[in-house]
Amino acid sequence: MEVSFGKEIESLRLGAGDTFHGEGILAITKALLQSGVAYVGGYQGAPVSHLLDVMVQARPYLDELGVHVEACSNEASAAAMLGASIHYPLRGAVTWKSIVGTNVAADALSNLSSPGVTGGALIVVGEDYGEGASVIQERTHAFALKSSMCLLDPRPDLAVMARMVEEGFRLSEASNMPAILELRIRACHVRGSFPARDNVAPGISTRALLENPAAFDYMRLAHPPVTFRHEKLKGEQRIPAARSYILENQLNELFAGRHEDLGILVQGGLYNALVRSLQQLGLADAFGATEIPLLVLNVTYPLVPEQVADFCAGKRAVLVVEEGQPEFIEQEIATLLRRRDLQTKLHGKDLLPAAGEYTVEVLSAGLARFAESHLPGAATEDTRRWLAANDERRQAVAAALDKPLPARPPGFCIGCPERPVFSALKLAQQQIGNVHIAADIGCHAFGTFEPFSMGHSILGYGMSLASRAGVSPMMQRRTLAIMGDGGFWHNGLLTGVQSALFNGDDAVLLIFKNGYTSATGTQEILSTPGEDAKSQAADKGRSLAHTNQTIEAALKGLGVQWLRTVHTYEVETMRATLIEAFTSGFEGLKVIVAEGECQLERQRRLKPWLASLLQKGERVVRVKYGVDEDVCNGDHACIRLSGCPTLTLKDNPDPLKVDPVATVIDGCVGCGLCGANAHAATLCPSFYRAEVVQNPRWHERLVHSFRSAIVRALQPA
Amino acid sequence: MSAARPPAGANAPSGGSALHAVSKRGGPISLLICALGGEGGGVLTEWLVETARHAGYPAQATSIPGVAQRTGATTYYLEVFPVPLAQLGDRRPVFSLTPVPGTLDALVSSELLETARQIGNGMASPDRTLVITSSARTLTTQERMQLGDGRAEPADLLKLLGRFARAHQVFDMNTLAREAGTVVSAVMLGAIAGSGLFPFRREDYEAVVQAGGKSAEASLRGFARAYERVAQGRTQADYLAQVLAPADAPQSPRGAPPAAADPFPEPVRGMFGLGYARLVDYQGTAYAELYAGRLRQVLAAEREADPQGAHGFAVTKEMARWLALWMAFDDIVRVADLKSRASRSARVQREVKPGVHDLLKVYDHFKPGVPEFAALLPAPLAGRLTAWDRRRVARGKASWALPLKVATHSVLGMAALRTLARMKWLRPRGSRYAIEQAMIGQWLEGVVQGTRRAWELGHEIALCGRLIKGYGSTNERGKENLLHVLEHLARGGVAPEAAQAIRAAREAALADDAGKALDAALVQHGAPPRPVKAVPVRWVRKPRGLAADDESRLKAP
Repeated sequence: MEVSFGKEIESLRLGAGDTFHGEGILAITKALLQSGVAYVGGYQGAPVSHLLDVMVQARPYLDELGVHVEACSNEASAAAMLGASIHYPLRGAVTWKSIVGTNVAADALSNLSSPGVTGGALIVVGEDYGEGASVIQERTHAFALKSSMCLLDPRPDLAVMARMVEEGFRLSEASNMPAILELRIRACHVRGSFPARDNVAPGISTRALLENPAAFDYMRLAHPPVTFRHEKLKGEQRIPAARSYILENQLNELFAGRHEDLGILVQGGLYNALVRSLQQLGLADAFGATEIPLLVLNVTYPLVPEQVADFCAGKRAVLVVEEGQPEFIEQEIATLLRRRDLQTKLHGKDLLPAAGEYTVEVLSAGLARFAESHLPGAATEDTRRWLAANDERRQAVAAALDKPLPARPPGFCIGCPERPVFSALKLAQQQIGNVHIAADIGCHAFGTFEPFSMGHSILGYGMSLASRAGVSPMMQRRTLAIMGDGGFWHNGLLTGVQSALFNGDDAVLLIFKNGYTSATGTQEILSTPGEDAKSQAADKGRSLAHTNQTIEAALKGLGVQWLRTVHTYEVETMRATLIEAFTSGFEGLKVIVAEGECQLERQRRLKPWLASLLQKGERVVRVKYGVDEDVCNGDHACIRLSGCPTLTLKDNPDPLKVDPVATVIDGCVGCGLCGANAHAATLCPSFYRAEVVQNPRWHERLVHSFRSAIVRALQPA
Repeated sequence: MSAARPPAGANAPSGGSALHAVSKRGGPISLLICALGGEGGGVLTEWLVETARHAGYPAQATSIPGVAQRTGATTYYLEVFPVPLAQLGDRRPVFSLTPVPGTLDALVSSELLETARQIGNGMASPDRTLVITSSARTLTTQERMQLGDGRAEPADLLKLLGRFARAHQVFDMNTLAREAGTVVSAVMLGAIAGSGLFPFRREDYEAVVQAGGKSAEASLRGFARAYERVAQGRTQADYLAQVLAPADAPQSPRGAPPAAADPFPEPVRGMFGLGYARLVDYQGTAYAELYAGRLRQVLAAEREADPQGAHGFAVTKEMARWLALWMAFDDIVRVADLKSRASRSARVQREVKPGVHDLLKVYDHFKPGVPEFAALLPAPLAGRLTAWDRRRVARGKASWALPLKVATHSVLGMAALRTLARMKWLRPRGSRYAIEQAMIGQWLEGVVQGTRRAWELGHEIALCGRLIKGYGSTNERGKENLLHVLEHLARGGVAPEAAQAIRAAREAALADDAGKALDAALVQHGAPPRPVKAVPVRWVRKPRGLAADDESRLKAP
């Protein structure tokens, strides 16, 4: 990746006496080093990508500390990496986006949790839940429960978050349980500060190597019969040990309030939203001093029964604020209250919605009902009025608009090499009919949005080819599976390609080979163009995807016989190749490699290179496309075939015409799709390609001046 | 506390009152920022947090970028506690991570539709929220991909500001950023600073931007211009006036002969002049006179239906527009002519903005096919050419077409275009001309007859001229739709009902290019759907598929 995290890396070096300023996820990264972590791994994905990205770029500094960093090929390999902490007193941390990443990692996590760990094992997951999320809405909590892993959900205050990283390692060591630290999206991106501490170089490290492997110990294997013993250990030793650690070190925080007969138990991550809601109801001040006592669960699993019971005892009612479903915490508290025969009334999902993010507004509605029932004379009228006014305004805006506002989902970047493939696919389907399209995770999933609206299913990262295995035998026409190279290496090679080959499936697979896992931030993978290819390229703006043939070699090695590589901008060739794949007499797996390097990476290389050429006075050609406004027919078929943000509309300058015309605005990178589409689809003849030659050579200038003189003479006004 | 405000910004008319409201509540000052992925919202947020630090106030910001980095809509949320850290001792405020609808102090947005979206989400409140928004639109794909005009109406979006904001400031942030040679995030920072929302001094903001390195100078320019604009409150007046003003009436015709325009009433003359000039340019004076003659038929019918001109001669006026456009149908001669004019070269120069010493090369993309060439051939020859192409398609090949990339900046390319442009004389002798004139005749007859039956009916049929545009299949589809509507909806029934049906069908025809909505509208109004056309689609069956007779099921349209 060509993004630089220089500033962030500097802040990793801060020591005692310094104050760290920055994003939540970077505070976590810093706290890992303060905890003496020995190895770090993970698989990228918003909102935790930066943790790994920064660590990877900070390798020189981490080498000084003796910390090993591994960019894992998927979450399963990251989770398996934690196996190092089973035998050895090594602190290890891995990270990924949850719930999807945790699903992929589940097998290794079970096998890690069963024997348990010696060194602290911490899994930092980005809980991709609520607004801004890009995955299925499920809770990581279930994994902690089923595999007996500690689950930390820190209050989103940088100091608390950093402390919980350090405590997480200690908790893991005290209990032999791996620990998960979950951070919601906004907590990952929250900007704040905390007092830094010195980084700790791990005792065993890449600079202080282990001399010998551990002695053989069958108890450390996740293999019967010891797995039966492990299960007992979880309940008899590990969870009790974790509970005592949590209690003794006060990982959960108690905030007293004057209404001692009431209480709220809240997941740490929701603390700020809860306090703001209490403020809305006049039950807390700006500094969080609350009138209703709070038990803030920075550790949401395991709960400490005596702590919860002590908190609830003597109260008329408590409210459990727990986001998502099912309400695991509330159910456990209910069992606990029942077992202790405590008569405290329990509220939770009866007052708060089962699904969706607990924003301040959502919490306030639930809190208002809680206060109305249990706080006689509570001034909830203001809250009610405020909530009602919100709803009224929403309705009033909807009524004031003729039609709902158009959505603005993310889309392909300007110059994205994946867009032309969807243009070709649209054209191919016009010719041979629609096909079933198994879509996948990645930037190419933007093809499911307008103007393409293609894709029948998304079953998981790299799963497209596998997900059509039941469809294609049932369908007259062939199906298409689309996969990115990120998905291919993450999973698709094994679950899709191998399975299709083994079963002799008649299938078509299109692989976007753009050289990076781009949707997560252009991290490098096995098929990323090499550094030497980049430095040797004469034209830095050219796609270098073809210089790395790992995907093709892997496919051939597995026995793929029908393999075509097409540069994505050749729309006509891509259309013909797709049609060939759908109509060919060859009945096995047909793979089309759509080659074109991620333009974000290309541009990052290109911009400084062009700037340096211009500075040196060397010849540079800049390309921009344009639309002739008097030739444009105002039908916008070109936009329905592209969707590029720079191909947009403007008022028709012709007073006779009424419909807006297409126009290419500044920002066009001259990718060439407009021209390729105009030819492949027989669009209207309004597109032109303009090439601006900067610093032209003297003979070019001469020819041009002669030529221009004649051209001008030929032109009428 | 009082030392912290009013802000040092000298003129902060709206910000000052916002702060009073905040101080009474004793909570943080909250700001929601709307931006599109790639606009630098993250940098803006960092600047604001850094500025707060520089000024010594507690602040927190957060965001939900996710994949919105790829051109989607996203928001950033910031809270600042209006008491300096120095006065707080050990106490620290608890900030919210989510914006709280109805309690925002400010909403700042780089795009008008996104502003409206957040107002629609209930974020702004008329008693508290200051809204500063760019008037600039970045059209969504949904708006851009429509056949007609799918753009949201800016006036509708602006109206929301007046109703749901305590105060609002509107200006074109993109243009200002472009003029200052910077990015929109710097302009937004200037706007926030200029509003006096936060108790920071202008120098606090500038110091933070200054530290940003090589692009700092441009950022500061954009910052300063937005700061002054917002601080002095001279933003929306000029813009609102511009948006809410009625559209300019068409310019008076240049050189349209008074004799030709004479018979037409005043409301029609502007449009007629434009149409007449277009056709003189297109084919010559005789052709323009044919246009004038056709339009006089419409006028005569309209005078019968509406002798007083109560409708402002709208039928004739609309026909003046649509008839001219149809008569000046686009063909390769016309395109070559338009593409080879000096005015066109000048326009390309303006759009591409080459430097003084740069060379500009222009390549035009053409792909004329059989229909384009057949159009200029006499009917018998054209028929043979078309039949040949049809046989090709039947054999499973693609229709013949010639992809060309013509270097218009070269002598050869320009000479080729000019030669083609001089083929105007061929046009009236070609097969397409005859077909177009016949169809125009049918439509004209429909308008005249319709107007005689009822003014509204004629008006609706005239407006159907909008369906005709473009080239090749787009153009043919439009003409077929129009004639189908004319045949099945214009004649029968009661006139007002027919008018209504035609309006519905016209709007439906512009809804999707497959014509599904049009067929539905036709059926709904008692007309048959358009006949199913044979489309050369190759259904491909898997080699190991079902028996051939089963396959037939799949071929049904």
